[in-house]
Amino acid sequence: MDYLYHILILIMIYSIFAISLNLELGFAGLYNFGHIAFFAIGAYTSALLSLGGMPIPLAVVLALVASGVAGAILARFTLGLSGDYFGIATLVFAEMIQLLLLNERDITRGPMGLPGIPRPAWMGSGHEGLIWFLAVAVIGTVLVFFLVRRISNAPFGRALKVVREDEFVAQALGKNTFILKTKAMVMGSVLAGFAGVLWAHYITYISPSDFTLNETIFVLLCVVVGGKGTNVGPLVGAFVIVFFGEFVRFLPIPSEFSRFVAPLQGMVYGALLIFMMLKRPQGLISESRR
Amino acid sequence: MSAYYLQLVVNGIVAGSVYAMFAVGLTMVYGVFKFINFSHGELITWGAYLGLMFSSPPFSLPIYLAAVPALGITVLLGLAQDWFIYRPLRQSNPVALLIASIGLSYFMRNAIRLIWGSDFQTFNLPAARGMSFGGIYITPVQVMMVSAAVVFLTILYLLFTRTILGKSLRAASDNMELADIMGISMTRVTITVWVLASLFAATGGILLAMDTNMDPMMGMASLIKAFAAVLIGGAGNVWGALLGGMFIGVAENLSVAVISPGYKDFISFALIFILLLVRPTGIFGIRGGVR
Repeated sequence: MDYLYHILILIMIYSIFAISLNLELGFAGLYNFGHIAFFAIGAYTSALLSLGGMPIPLAVVLALVASGVAGAILARFTLGLSGDYFGIATLVFAEMIQLLLLNERDITRGPMGLPGIPRPAWMGSGHEGLIWFLAVAVIGTVLVFFLVRRISNAPFGRALKVVREDEFVAQALGKNTFILKTKAMVMGSVLAGFAGVLWAHYITYISPSDFTLNETIFVLLCVVVGGKGTNVGPLVGAFVIVFFGEFVRFLPIPSEFSRFVAPLQGMVYGALLIFMMLKRPQGLISESRR
Repeated sequence: MSAYYLQLVVNGIVAGSVYAMFAVGLTMVYGVFKFINFSHGELITWGAYLGLMFSSPPFSLPIYLAAVPALGITVLLGLAQDWFIYRPLRQSNPVALLIASIGLSYFMRNAIRLIWGSDFQTFNLPAARGMSFGGIYITPVQVMMVSAAVVFLTILYLLFTRTILGKSLRAASDNMELADIMGISMTRVTITVWVLASLFAATGGILLAMDTNMDPMMGMASLIKAFAAVLIGGAGNVWGALLGGMFIGVAENLSVAVISPGYKDFISFALIFILLLVRPTGIFGIRGGVR
């Protein structure tokens, strides 16, 4: 039963992460291939501060601020770029963050990572702690979901979609597209940071190898499979992809074949991305065009 | 002390000649099809691992012979990529191509892990004695890396400047639709571009693996360097990519003298950022086109 709670918590964390990517990729058309960087910044900031003795709520708030600031900085430098160049620039940004985490050993302990990240004391530990964490994760996901849904239905969200479809039209209508995209990217970064914070305090151990291109591909898959540009899509995607990932563990696979499981899973994810692009680019849930 | 810096420059030229081979292929694909092929890195890795496959039992070919079928299969992989995935997507949103190529890259990398495992592997070549020229050391493999780059790029130069095929490639990369209208066979252009890109990638991959070792991530790491080189030259500019590759190689190796080796890769990352911001058309400022 505890394992089910574990899967649910993972689904919640990835839902928030996918929603945050969808805000950029689905609504604003910003193909951010380095989104994991903000997840990592949130996780590391909160972990380092709370390990340093700061009260957890304060550490969480500062982690969200740090993610947002990083998002604003990256936006300032990359939003002038078009499509695939933006993708490369963000991907490179994530690689740079990864190198910093690996090499600034005095702060991050490098590849050894940060163990023993505390959870709030009132949650307790063991089974009870798990349920409390799940409750927090569910509340967080619900809040994020309704927040983003509200944003996407507001004039701001509609303006973003215009930017996505045709930037010149948006400009001709008097919208400052740079500010619109910056706002989307800062919000996306803060929410990704929030997912990272939940991850860090849930898993209680983080290291740079948790925040690689693989995770970006994983969350990209959640958004693409679920349906980009929709509100429910990222939730569906996160549920399907995480569930599939965890379900594989229960298959009766003889131990001599166990080394093949992870690469095969990776091949399925890769093939799924290609398949979605070829056969159903809109995802499981398609965006309503009104 | 000056010998130390000279050695770093030599190492840089060796690394740079391989980066240049990767970058030239990447930029050719960009020039004609206008998208960044993420799975270019995996052609590099597949080249190296296929070389490993044909040089170990049951084939046990010497590496020079093993390279032949390895290159052949990688070229087929490159052609298959285009035929089954990129060609159907050509008319849709450019981002669909980008995502599909990311997916393909992930698929191919995990296929390597499935077949050969994730650990470092080597060709088990007999240890060759490094040659010394006035205190500068260079191994035979490194000499081969530089000569392969020179030979391949000379052939490419002759192809581009002396043949009709080269002319049609240049026309296609300048304006694909116009070239199509003018009666240039797009099938031939497409096949040539993928054959050349895969051939260069696989050759570079095998040489790189002979010089050091191979692991499933080698393609991804090389791709980022190649991309930095492409940007230095201006996307689509073949000769720019060649110089860009050399520049990255030398800059990266010289950087070891001043910064911690852990940050060696930071050089190309930072270069990508700076170039994208300051001169997205490349240092030579030529817009597009294989020139």
